[in-house]
Amino acid sequence: MARTVILPTGNVPSESSAVAHSVGPTPWAWLLLPGGIFLALLFLVPLAGLLMLSLGMPNWTFARFVRIGGDPVYLAVLRTTLQISASVTALALVLGYPMAYSLTTSKSSSLRTFLLIAVVLPYFTSVLVRTFAWIVLLGRGGIINDLLLKLGLISQPISMLYNRASVIIGMTQIVLPLMILPMYTVMSSIDEKLLRAARANGASPIAAFLTVFLPLSLPGVMAAVLLVFVNCLGFYITPALLGSLSDFTITMQIYSEVVDHLNWGSGSALSIVLLVSVLATLWIGSRFFPINKLLGLSDEKTGQDAVASPRTRKQWLMHLGSAANVLDRWLPSLGGYGVSIVSSLLGTLLLLPILVVAYLSFSSSAFFEFPAPGYSLHNYQAYISDSGWINATFTSIRVALMATSMAMALGATLAFGLARGRIPGRGAMVALVLSPIILPTIVVAIATYFVLARVGLQGTEFGLALGEAVYSIPYVVVLIVANLRDLNPAYERAARSLGAGPGATFRTITIPLITPAFIVAAFFAFLHSFDDVVYVLFLGIGVITTLPMLMWQSISQGVDPTISAVATLQVLLAAAVIIVSAWLRRRKSV
Amino acid sequence: MLMKAGLTSADVKTGGIVLHSLHKRYGRATAVDSVSLTISPGEFVSLLGPSGSGKTTTLMMIAGFELPDSGQILLDDKDITRLPPHRRELGVIFQNYALFPHMTVAENVAYPLRMRRMPKAEIETRVHRVLDQVHLTALASRYPHQMSGGQQQRVAIARAMVFEPPVLLLDEPLGALDRKLRQHLRNEIKTLHKEVGKTMIYVTHDQDEALAMSDRIAVMHEGRIRQVSAPQDIYRRPADLFVASFVGEVNLIPVKLRSGVLQGPGGEDLAAARRPEADMDATLCVRPEHLRLDKAVGNPRGVQGRIVDMTFIGDATIVEFRTEYGLQLTSKVLNVSAETLPGIGDACVASWVANDASVLKE
Repeated sequence: MARTVILPTGNVPSESSAVAHSVGPTPWAWLLLPGGIFLALLFLVPLAGLLMLSLGMPNWTFARFVRIGGDPVYLAVLRTTLQISASVTALALVLGYPMAYSLTTSKSSSLRTFLLIAVVLPYFTSVLVRTFAWIVLLGRGGIINDLLLKLGLISQPISMLYNRASVIIGMTQIVLPLMILPMYTVMSSIDEKLLRAARANGASPIAAFLTVFLPLSLPGVMAAVLLVFVNCLGFYITPALLGSLSDFTITMQIYSEVVDHLNWGSGSALSIVLLVSVLATLWIGSRFFPINKLLGLSDEKTGQDAVASPRTRKQWLMHLGSAANVLDRWLPSLGGYGVSIVSSLLGTLLLLPILVVAYLSFSSSAFFEFPAPGYSLHNYQAYISDSGWINATFTSIRVALMATSMAMALGATLAFGLARGRIPGRGAMVALVLSPIILPTIVVAIATYFVLARVGLQGTEFGLALGEAVYSIPYVVVLIVANLRDLNPAYERAARSLGAGPGATFRTITIPLITPAFIVAAFFAFLHSFDDVVYVLFLGIGVITTLPMLMWQSISQGVDPTISAVATLQVLLAAAVIIVSAWLRRRKSV
Repeated sequence: MLMKAGLTSADVKTGGIVLHSLHKRYGRATAVDSVSLTISPGEFVSLLGPSGSGKTTTLMMIAGFELPDSGQILLDDKDITRLPPHRRELGVIFQNYALFPHMTVAENVAYPLRMRRMPKAEIETRVHRVLDQVHLTALASRYPHQMSGGQQQRVAIARAMVFEPPVLLLDEPLGALDRKLRQHLRNEIKTLHKEVGKTMIYVTHDQDEALAMSDRIAVMHEGRIRQVSAPQDIYRRPADLFVASFVGEVNLIPVKLRSGVLQGPGGEDLAAARRPEADMDATLCVRPEHLRLDKAVGNPRGVQGRIVDMTFIGDATIVEFRTEYGLQLTSKVLNVSAETLPGIGDACVASWVANDASVLKE
């Protein structure tokens, strides 16, 4: 960390971090205060309140947890949740690894660009839109049934929706980008020369992969599996829309207890169970791999200590690799195109649902027919002429703008404080800042509801924006911290040596250099709160109708083709954000 | 000091490499352009050139990581042009060594033997022996990032040699180190070459390294080999202007060659032993240490001018000299005796022995 420390007093930042720690907080650390207080009030306090509620405050009792442990209904829910999460994680790993591999190693830059788009565009498209796409594809009157009927393979529509399989398919497609990105980060740090060295030392391509690339990519695999599994545990939208009513996950059960039965006691206890499972998984996982490294908030080099993996696994891979080497002498070369072909297909599959929805939004048919019988803009006209959709759009924009302003102001100060301030217990601060995106959104949303209800802010746009700001702050911090680390302290030192004071240096050097990161962060914060469903479900208490909320209601009531137009517009918004940020990044590097 | 003579490779003369008109293009850019080179078993050949000259691409084609668009690579008369790298049996030492970060030193060195499925006992004996030879036995269970640059280099050498390849390919192995260590390791590699007698092909952009270590140097520029000769010949008898100015310091004097008479820019009659036959405008090359400066006026074979600057650099003094018409020349005078040098502003005549000068075409 010493590299990025610049004390505003102009001290030489070469002292070891141990020394820096012992001198206590530096002036920069004060910047952690506003964001820290905000997160404490709107994140820690609500969660603590939820915990107390689950314990029956003020009549303390474990009864609710005991009941969850003894009730077969709850146990079935827990089992379903674990089974779905494990299946989705395993499937996403099997599909994601070859994609991450091609993304890193493919020699064809067009394949790499295609895969990057296939991963990044869905990643920033709202979960609701992607889930909706699966309904369009898999439904009774959906495209796949339609095609199968037309081809004469089936005589009447088969039901592919509202069962375990559709949940797993939908969730896998949704978490794949989350699986691929951490693996990609670690894989791109593997020096290509190491593979060449393995080849020069007699390893066939397969043996080089097994003995060098695979072991070095394992930290990324670990982190990705952990993040995806934890994400699956707290997944609400997709199971709720694609799942069967007899096959509840824990999040569906929580929603039903709280909203349908107004049973806050069981709801809060189940939320705590979910929260504890997530924290336990993360804690066990972090024994093997420090998660915050991946999110760019740690300076230690990735892979250096992570490589001290258990010897047995490595030995096993060595045996396998040297065995594969013998096979190589008998097998003809596969040409090495296998992985590229597989990953192109997977990339297409990842993009397909979004593309199908976008295509059908221009269909002249009143139903989802494939191929479209003709083209028209009637879905878009329906959207524009319906005051409900337009009002919802403006509500969404208002809330997202409020949430973005708060997240930017607080996130930026937090980022500066974290990157340049020295405080004891910095690790805890980092954990607090990142938690809102790692812990299940549904739990945080329920907990926030309690606090807002006490001060009468439930069902207000400001209250909703407060909640969404908590969720956007981590993204803002990560994006700005990454940029501050790239910002070479030598520029600032140079400015100081040329006669600029601390204020002038900040104004003339630091601000211009990090402005692109600010713009990108603001865009992403906006996108995140614009796409939010879960917060509005709880904090909006049916009073506030944002665009995703209206989509959610329409999807639940029956599939209205107008949604395809709205969904397409949301994809375009995501694409615009990605393009603008890519453009800003490229301009910076020139 | 690194290795005791390996009997197998020293007795059987293997490791001859022939490059036969190699071509390699990347899109529109030609990276390697008709490179032909014959390397005898046991020879130390350097590929020397600036970045982008095609030297690394050539080495990577020998190692099997790049396929030439046309041309042939022979190892001991066997065509290996299209053989995948892991079946070539060539030792490669990479820039920054490419030691596997997830393996200990011993595991790194054992890697090529494991890939060849040697019996376990044999692997252990060989790894132990080679680590002993590079004095790293004590560090066998360390990880690469726990070692210094010099130690890492020895691990890289041990790993590349443990399977006894007849040829070692070295890709700027000293590039990442500081000057003192470079000089030390340069000598180690040279000693190693003498002891094991393996063929070595060494890629570098550092002329001092190439001059100090090589049996022969191939100077490369823009994808072509401009000259292949022993270091002394490269330095004393450069084949063209690029070689002359890339290797060592040189004074370049524009001259006119008219019916056997060499005329300097000021009309002086100049001396040069190596020169083209035909009349032409050309450039005379003479090294600073061959340029004599005398106060004696009236020497017909020389250039008249004044001393404009002198720089003391320890073992020598660099004297800058300029003629009235603006030609600037550099002379390097060894500080061997207390003999007083001329001072700044003194009028002098610069001259040289004909044998030390070459006239090269543009």
